[in-house]
Amino acid sequence: MNDVPAISRAPYGREAKYALVPAAAEKVETYYGQPQLKPSHYGFRVALYIFIAGLSGAAQLIATSADLAGGDRHRNLVRRGRYLSLLAVGLGPPLLIWDLHTPQRFYNMLRIFRPTSPMSIGTYVLSGFSLSSLVTAAAQFLADRGDGPGWGRVARVIEIPAALAGAGMTTYTAALLAATSTPLWAAAPRALAVQFAGSSIAAGAAALALCEEADSESAATQRLELLGMAATATELAGAFFAGRRYRHVGVAPSTALDRPWGAIHRVGAIALGAALPLALLTARRVGNRPRSRPGMTASLLAIGGSLLLRWSVIQAGNDSARHPEESLRFASGEDPG
Amino acid sequence: MVHPRALAYTASHLDGLIPDEAELTAGVRVEPRKSYGFFTDTTRCIGCKACEVACKEWNLLPADDLRLTGMSYDNTAALSASTWRHVAFIEKIGDGEGRATEMAPFQSNWLMMSDVCKHCHNAPCLEACPTGALFRTEFDTVVVQQDICNGCGYCVPACPFGVVELSLVDGKAHKCTLCYDRLKGGLEPACAKACPTDSIQFGEIGELQQRAKTRVDQLHELGVDGAYLYGVPGSPGATGDLGHLNAFFLLTDTPEVYNLPERPSRASNRVGPSLVSGLAAVAGLMLGAIVFFGRR
Repeated sequence: MNDVPAISRAPYGREAKYALVPAAAEKVETYYGQPQLKPSHYGFRVALYIFIAGLSGAAQLIATSADLAGGDRHRNLVRRGRYLSLLAVGLGPPLLIWDLHTPQRFYNMLRIFRPTSPMSIGTYVLSGFSLSSLVTAAAQFLADRGDGPGWGRVARVIEIPAALAGAGMTTYTAALLAATSTPLWAAAPRALAVQFAGSSIAAGAAALALCEEADSESAATQRLELLGMAATATELAGAFFAGRRYRHVGVAPSTALDRPWGAIHRVGAIALGAALPLALLTARRVGNRPRSRPGMTASLLAIGGSLLLRWSVIQAGNDSARHPEESLRFASGEDPG
Repeated sequence: MVHPRALAYTASHLDGLIPDEAELTAGVRVEPRKSYGFFTDTTRCIGCKACEVACKEWNLLPADDLRLTGMSYDNTAALSASTWRHVAFIEKIGDGEGRATEMAPFQSNWLMMSDVCKHCHNAPCLEACPTGALFRTEFDTVVVQQDICNGCGYCVPACPFGVVELSLVDGKAHKCTLCYDRLKGGLEPACAKACPTDSIQFGEIGELQQRAKTRVDQLHELGVDGAYLYGVPGSPGATGDLGHLNAFFLLTDTPEVYNLPERPSRASNRVGPSLVSGLAAVAGLMLGAIVFFGRR
């Protein structure tokens, strides 16, 4: 599997004396094995935030889609989706502020808007999502209490910006990782975003399906499971293309099975967290046995896999930054773009 | 060659700053709205580490752990939050194939390079900073404003050269400021002033690049065929939309040997493709959701 491409070298100096032969391309010279990059300090807290942001954004998106498409038929699903989106509103900012090294200055994030920085984009996506989700959930609550018919209409209007911000919440975190010099994250900007998008929606659909199942509402559960299957398939397609990019640009060793985070990424996040739930749900549809154990197992696996995907990508990426042969090889190829 | 104006300051005690001192020490006046940087000529480096010491002293940076790395004479190991100049030592004796029995013709084949923040033209750290703590100064250099940085750490993985680091002492990001305070006072940066062989040269970018090209030609004439520039337009280091590097180098071996990436890239170029693909995937799935939920 080690099909690392030959490094095409610019001839340096007066003579092209450093034109490497392809056979030597795999062996990159390093400076006493010292890291060439500095890894990020991001770990479980940021992974948990990315997972929660994806799940909540997806819950809002699903609630809005169900509301737009099915109206009153999916009333309970819409309510649960709107409430579930508050997870990121409540936990997101504390997790992010906790991760700062000078947390008392968190508000400096709102000093400027910088479109070249996904961290800055994300600050405003999270702010917008929090505001619109709070309004939608509050309107839902007041409408349920019977405080006048107007509140239902308020929710129907504000759910649109909330869903748009939710779409941002499910994917901007992939751009956050891709727009760095960390080899593994930078290697596949597009495929990583597709993976995160699929994983977010799979987790959102699974969380809502679990609530439905607890309430034994099989009509909505089946639709959520169909959506979950589509999302998981999308995630797996992203993982396939990401893996191809990793091999092409020479960062595949960070996701290899012989490194702990590589093994967790492949076995935990992709095999158990995406492929297995997809197989379980597919088997159930083929076997035509609605409302049985596999549905719940698949949902739990998809949720766990979504968290594990973010955690393992972050840690395997940090690992790739610590390996100079990987970062130097990555930075010898074409601009990944 | 002594600048004629220098003769007016011969006393050992000075009452204040010499106006435009950089003109006397580096032959350049420091003025806003011009681009300044370093030309580090590694063929002139003798590995004395005066730059490291001068930097630490001027910028009041704490000492690092005292330890022996076993990496030649390099016990500094890397640039960090408290080390803004780092002299790399590369022993090219034996070429990794056992002990050499004869010396190669160029110097001792012991390469030394004083590494520093590159002050990129399109700096990924600056483009990643969400607070605006990292900014471009009036001298076209890149500096972290310590009273604004909130330690989010996003500039650390953004840097393609592994320069910026978070300090766990004060929870802020730190890196070379190209002696912003000294430039404001008309002084040459501490490392360049301390360099005894002029391996580190401070000046205006255009003029430095000219000087560097002349030096490469001179080295080629002397038989150092491998000499080339790293970080001037159209050369390694100045790739992937980074533009030129305001701190650039003259090298005689491949960039990797000095722990420099051959083709660093501009991280912010990946924001658009990533966002668009992610949102497209979400849009597709949501269309599917609307179909699923719309069915009776």
